[in-house]
Amino acid sequence: MIGFIKRLDWPGYVLALFLIFFILLPIVTVFLWAFTEQWFYPSVLPTKWGLRYWFKVLERPDVWAAFFTSVQLSAIVTALSAVICLPAAYAFARMEFPGKQFFMMSFLMGNAFPRFALIISIAVLFLTLNLVGTYLGVVIIQLLNTILLMIWLPTAAFQAVSRNMEEAAMDVGASPLRVFWHITLPQALPAIGAALLMTFVWTFYETEGAWLVGAPRVQTMPLLMMSMINNQLVVQYGAVLSVALWVPSLVALLLARRVMGSDSFAKGLGA
Amino acid sequence: MSDTLSTAPASAPLVKWRPTGLLFIAAPILLIAVFLFYPALRSIWGTIYVRQPDGSYAFSIASYLYFFSDSYSLTNLGRTFWTTIVTMVLLIAINLPIAIYLRFKGGRLAVFIQVLALFPMFVPGIVIVYALIRYLGPNGLLQTLLEVVGIGGFQSPYLTPWGPVIGMVWDAMPFTLLVLTAGMSGIATSAIEAAQDVGAGRLRILFSIILPQIKNSLLVVTSLNFLGLFGQAFMPFMLGPTSPEMMGPFMLRTFSTVRDPLQAATQATIVFALCSVAGLAYVRSIAKRRAAELVK
Repeated sequence: MIGFIKRLDWPGYVLALFLIFFILLPIVTVFLWAFTEQWFYPSVLPTKWGLRYWFKVLERPDVWAAFFTSVQLSAIVTALSAVICLPAAYAFARMEFPGKQFFMMSFLMGNAFPRFALIISIAVLFLTLNLVGTYLGVVIIQLLNTILLMIWLPTAAFQAVSRNMEEAAMDVGASPLRVFWHITLPQALPAIGAALLMTFVWTFYETEGAWLVGAPRVQTMPLLMMSMINNQLVVQYGAVLSVALWVPSLVALLLARRVMGSDSFAKGLGA
Repeated sequence: MSDTLSTAPASAPLVKWRPTGLLFIAAPILLIAVFLFYPALRSIWGTIYVRQPDGSYAFSIASYLYFFSDSYSLTNLGRTFWTTIVTMVLLIAINLPIAIYLRFKGGRLAVFIQVLALFPMFVPGIVIVYALIRYLGPNGLLQTLLEVVGIGGFQSPYLTPWGPVIGMVWDAMPFTLLVLTAGMSGIATSAIEAAQDVGAGRLRILFSIILPQIKNSLLVVTSLNFLGLFGQAFMPFMLGPTSPEMMGPFMLRTFSTVRDPLQAATQATIVFALCSVAGLAYVRSIAKRRAAELVK
């Protein structure tokens, strides 16, 4: 292997130490606060541990309302996104049609705009359509946010399906639809499931679109957490909500990534 | 139908029915045309073809003149440039060593570093913000830890210009690292060993072998990070000072609080224009890569 790094691994220890302080400890802080009843300043660890604030958070009706709004929004957006994008992903992977390169590029073009400036210009349009402050407005703006992911990952999944198997099935007389249903779809399904899962989680935590178009009438979970942080309400509320909502989504995303392989994200963005 | 297909070469598309493909992609194309490209063009157009007090419409660049003569707007623009550039430089300075380390090193420590560096990918923005406030804020955990080892005088970056920088570095770490690692995987170990054999130093290897090989990755990272950071609203709003502010929160406030959609659209157009260079660089690098793939 490479001698110049191998001699002594001090770069590794420096990087690891930096990442512990920069990435790990902030997350640890959230967990500590979630199980804190009292934490006075000079103490390194909470002065009194406990679950009291978990019960307090679960008693709040605004938390439950925001939770259901977010789950419902995410489910609707994910379902719509799948219906709209999956056929397109299949077309990009398996069909030839005029302008294919151009259309593929135009989806990537969405990436080439500064996101928030786009959201502002969409909001200016929504103002004239009376969609600001409405549920529908939030659905549309969050749906736009999911399109790239929902086309990109399933396209890669469809492309990865073995052509030989499809052709073999065709040879023994299976119709294209049958081939799709029995050969192509089952093989692409895990990756599509992963894309759905990620879309759901990302939509659940989408903040900027919901904030500009939805607030204050459509209150999603991230918006509620924002107001809790900004209004300096009890510190523990934010911590409890972070831990309670984020741990399940973390597990889901880790599962999704296991299916997808490590560099498909970077490749999809043009690395 | 199966006969014609089975005789076709293996690389030929399985289904070749032209209009269907277009039909399949029509829905998402329509969606981004109506809700992405149209509003962008419309709001740009709306900033130069403006409704006059008497109700008629006329060409006017008054909103731009206002922006470029208003010292507060200009300060915000300057702050946005500062934050974006500092964050981009830090992102490369942190992730390039990590990517190089991961490329040439295996073992447990490397796995640990990789897992930690990619971890922010799984943390939603709102949780990052909350974690950083509790960790870096006044009387936060970092200050406590520093005082335990005897380092006093901690100045919290929370609500200073460094607050958003730290938040955005946190947020953009995994993407930057993934793209750099992907570029780095193309470097042959033998090339570096050969260079070492003829006596090339580390810096020489970095500049003569590694950096030229990852040029495209650096271009993608720089352009996408510029686009992503320049238009950020959430991190600066939560972690940064209220005045001067970055363009993101400034646009938000102009739209929601000041309720001046024309000026907000003008600000957005200026952001579009400034980001278009980065956007073009990104689109061109992808187009080049696609062309290269097609030739393959």
